[in-house]
Amino acid sequence: MAVGKKDISAPPYVEGREIESDNLEKEGVTYVEDHPHISYQFTAGQAISKFLNGLKEGKILATKCNKCRRVMVPPRTFCELCFKPADEWVEVRDTGTVETFSISYIDPDAKPLDEPEIVAVISIDGASPKMGILHKLGEVEPEKVYIGMKVRAVWKPESEREGMITDIMYWKPLEVE
Amino acid sequence: MVFNEKIVNPADLRHVSGKIELYWVYTSGEAGDAFFKKLRDEGKFIAAKCKKCGHVFFPPRIYCEFDFSETEYVEISGKGCVLAFSIVNYDSDGNRLEEPEIYALIGMDGTNGKIIHMLGEVESEKIEAGMEVEPVLKPENEREGRITDILYFKPVS
Repeated sequence: MAVGKKDISAPPYVEGREIESDNLEKEGVTYVEDHPHISYQFTAGQAISKFLNGLKEGKILATKCNKCRRVMVPPRTFCELCFKPADEWVEVRDTGTVETFSISYIDPDAKPLDEPEIVAVISIDGASPKMGILHKLGEVEPEKVYIGMKVRAVWKPESEREGMITDIMYWKPLEVE
Repeated sequence: MVFNEKIVNPADLRHVSGKIELYWVYTSGEAGDAFFKKLRDEGKFIAAKCKKCGHVFFPPRIYCEFDFSETEYVEISGKGCVLAFSIVNYDSDGNRLEEPEIYALIGMDGTNGKIIHMLGEVESEKIEAGMEVEPVLKPENEREGRITDILYFKPVS
C-alpha cells in the first residue's frame, strides 16, 4: 500500500454517545470493572527511624550540626547548609509554637467532617527557629487558634505507642493548663 | 561522629505501609457493546466489515482504521484457528496451578482479526499451531456480556 496518499472521504470524526451511571446499573451498557490491590511500604531511613523510635519513648529527637549550630527537627543525617554530616543527637522539648495553620472541614474524599480538624506547622522548642513538624491541634476552638500560639504535645499512653508520628495524638494550647 | 553508629538491626528501622485505592469502570464502547450484547443475548459472534476496502475487523470497530470509512456488522461463525499458544503452570502470584491453563492466540475465521482466549477439552501435548477450534459458551442464563461468557475454545470435533 502506498504510504501517505489515501483517498479519504469519510468525516474525520464519529459521533459519540454520552452514557450515564443509569446505563450501567440497568445493564444497558456492557462494561468491566476493577479494583486493583496496590499497597506500598515507605521506609523511613536512618534518621527518621531513630526519631520515630524516640517518639515511642515519649521523646522528640533532633540532630545538631556543630558548624552552623543548628538543631534540626525532623532529624536528618547531614546538614544541608554546611553540606557535612550532622554531629550529635539531642532531645528537644515537646512544646512549640504555631507557625501557620489550616482548618479542614472535609476529609481526603471531600466528605464533610463532623468536627473540623486543625492542622498546623509547629516549630518545636529547643530546635532552631522555624524547625518543626506538621501536626494536628486539639482541645481548642478553631476560631481561637492564632499564629504564635504556644502548644504542648498530647501523647498516647505509653502502652499504645508504636513508633509512628501518630504517637503524638495532637497538640493542645499551653495557656489552658 | 554519631552517624557511624547506624541502626543495623532491621527491626529498629521503621517503615510506613500504605494502600492506594483505585476503582474503575471501563465501558466496551459502541462496537464492543454491540459485540457483547449479541454474544450475551444470542450467543453469536459479530465482526465489522469496512464498506470500502472490505477489511473485516474483529473485535468489531465503528470505523475502518485504514481509510476512515464506515463499517457494517457481519455475523461470523466464531470458529477459528490457533496461531500461537502458551501453557501456563503458575498463577500471577507465582503459585503452582493444579491444572495448567492454556492461552492461545486464535485467528477468527472470516475476519482479519484475532482474539486471545483459553483452550479447553484438549491435552496440552496435542495442541499445535493451525489447529481448528470452536467456542464453548456459558449457558444463556449465566451470560453477563463479558469476554468470560466464552468459557474456552475447544478443538473442532
